Amino acid sequence: MKPCEEEEEQGGAAAAGGGGDPWKECAELAVQLALRAGQIIRKALTEEKQVSTKTSAADLVTETDHFVENLIISVLKEKFPSHRFIAEESTAAGSKCVLTDSPTWIIDPVDGTCNFVHRFPTVAVSIGFAVNRELAQQKQAFDQPPPPTLAYACHIVAIFRSHMRTASTPSSDYISKALILTEIGPKRDPATLKLFLGNIERLLKAQAHGVRVIGSSTLALCHLAAGAADAYYQFGLHCWDLAAATVIIREAGGTVIDTSGGPLDLMSCRVIAAGTREMAMFIAQEIQTIHYRRDDEN
Amino acid sequence: MKPCEEEEEQGGAAAAGGGGDPWKECAELAVQLALRAGQIIRKALTEEKQVSTKTSAADLVTETDHFVENLIISVLKEKFPSHRFIAEESTAAGSKCVLTDSPTWIIDPVDGTCNFVHRFPTVAVSIGFAVNRELEFGVIYHCTEERLYTGRRGQGAFCNDKRLQVSKETDISKALILTEIGPKRDPATLKLFLGNIERLLKAQAHGVRVIGSSTLALCHLAAGAADAYYQFGLHCWDLAAATVIIREAGGTVIDTSGGPLDLMSCRVIAAGTREMAMFIAQEIQTIHYRRDDEN
Repeated sequence: MKPCEEEEEQGGAAAAGGGGDPWKECAELAVQLALRAGQIIRKALTEEKQVSTKTSAADLVTETDHFVENLIISVLKEKFPSHRFIAEESTAAGSKCVLTDSPTWIIDPVDGTCNFVHRFPTVAVSIGFAVNRELAQQKQAFDQPPPPTLAYACHIVAIFRSHMRTASTPSSDYISKALILTEIGPKRDPATLKLFLGNIERLLKAQAHGVRVIGSSTLALCHLAAGAADAYYQFGLHCWDLAAATVIIREAGGTVIDTSGGPLDLMSCRVIAAGTREMAMFIAQEIQTIHYRRDDEN
Repeated sequence: MKPCEEEEEQGGAAAAGGGGDPWKECAELAVQLALRAGQIIRKALTEEKQVSTKTSAADLVTETDHFVENLIISVLKEKFPSHRFIAEESTAAGSKCVLTDSPTWIIDPVDGTCNFVHRFPTVAVSIGFAVNRELEFGVIYHCTEERLYTGRRGQGAFCNDKRLQVSKETDISKALILTEIGPKRDPATLKLFLGNIERLLKAQAHGVRVIGSSTLALCHLAAGAADAYYQFGLHCWDLAAATVIIREAGGTVIDTSGGPLDLMSCRVIAAGTREMAMFIAQEIQTIHYRRDDEN
């Protein structure tokens, strides 16, 4: 008897209409898998690693990325044979990043692989889930090493909501006094670096308190959800970095949009997230675009 | 009976000659104070804060910085009345940053105050100690992750009882580099700051990280979790403890010119290897800051 499978046929409407959460079993399994993957990653962190590169010399992958992804997908496939998967290493191996109406797991097995390779302890596993192309479920992103200080689960989201700072400052002050997070992204050509650094320059000139680069987009987005930062923006991240974090941030009262100021485009490889819409829009106006191929392009 | 006071008269030579560590009691008290300060900071992190600015709009201070510094200094002053102190908020209040031969405590009560104000959980307390102008031990405590970093000259460096060993990387194209923005935000400074990052990324560094706490970034280096750190605009109270910890972990701490570390110069390069440190010294351009020991 698989409650998730049964509710799958009912589709999204049943979740809204009936009692109970049709994806609850899926969410609980996601938590178990994230914890198990976290344990594997924590152990592997201190060991020797075989490192390869993907799209650039800074875009790293290890056997742990592959192992964790295979583990998560194989467990989920066995339990939910009709579900679909979008995952980082499968995509690198040639799978397409296509979001259909089917229940779809969107997985980053090791977010912060460069950190992982260097034993820099900011590393997460991220498991997102979408149904009818909607990110319908809280999913978990976990921190290394113990204790899991950034362990987010459904019941904790309510606490984060109460900690989210409300927009009490006038719009002209939004960037000044803001702590802003970002990541470099995989492209390192001179033009990209100029745009990347130029964006930081703009935000610091607008009197942001500071800019932080921690090496894990999912954990940076979690800091935002927790109210520990005011905004995040990036070019060059992927749908598997965004899927879980978007739900977490929105459930915490935050805004997640496209860098143009329009609605989030999960496959666009770019994002702005902020505690308030005003902050998000201000950043959209300030930053210049760095072009990346979409996840759903060939 | 105060072992530290008694050994003080013997001076540094006795430490080398006789058995036992003359500053052991001081080091142990530093650990206790760091843990206690960390507890206070952890609690204050989640509360409302009154925030002021110092040298720039990005150079923040709170009542917690003052409270923790006063606590540490008052306990140490009572136990070691002849010792001297260099500490961040006392200096902001007008005390001079002068290192004499006297046993001197060098204290940053809250490193990462901007993070602290924002509840960004990368915050530390740093307690260094020098005698005869030589750095003897250092304690840095990561307040939210409860990681205690210690280093004692000649006795190694540890994080929560695990021995620390720096990275052996010499090649910039495999390096993870940490830095901090510093308090100055004028256009010329920003251009130099970002230009330095640009150079290192063009040299194919794996990545650059900015975590908002210089002492904790230096601890990552000591732990082998990063290959290099450089900064303009930090202070002697950020460097004192971390320098001992890194050197005891096998690392190199030098001036940005490539010469020996100048504790009051407000600038540093630290790396797992000398080769890496020297490469960075050649790549980066200087951002000028007033020295800590200037008026």
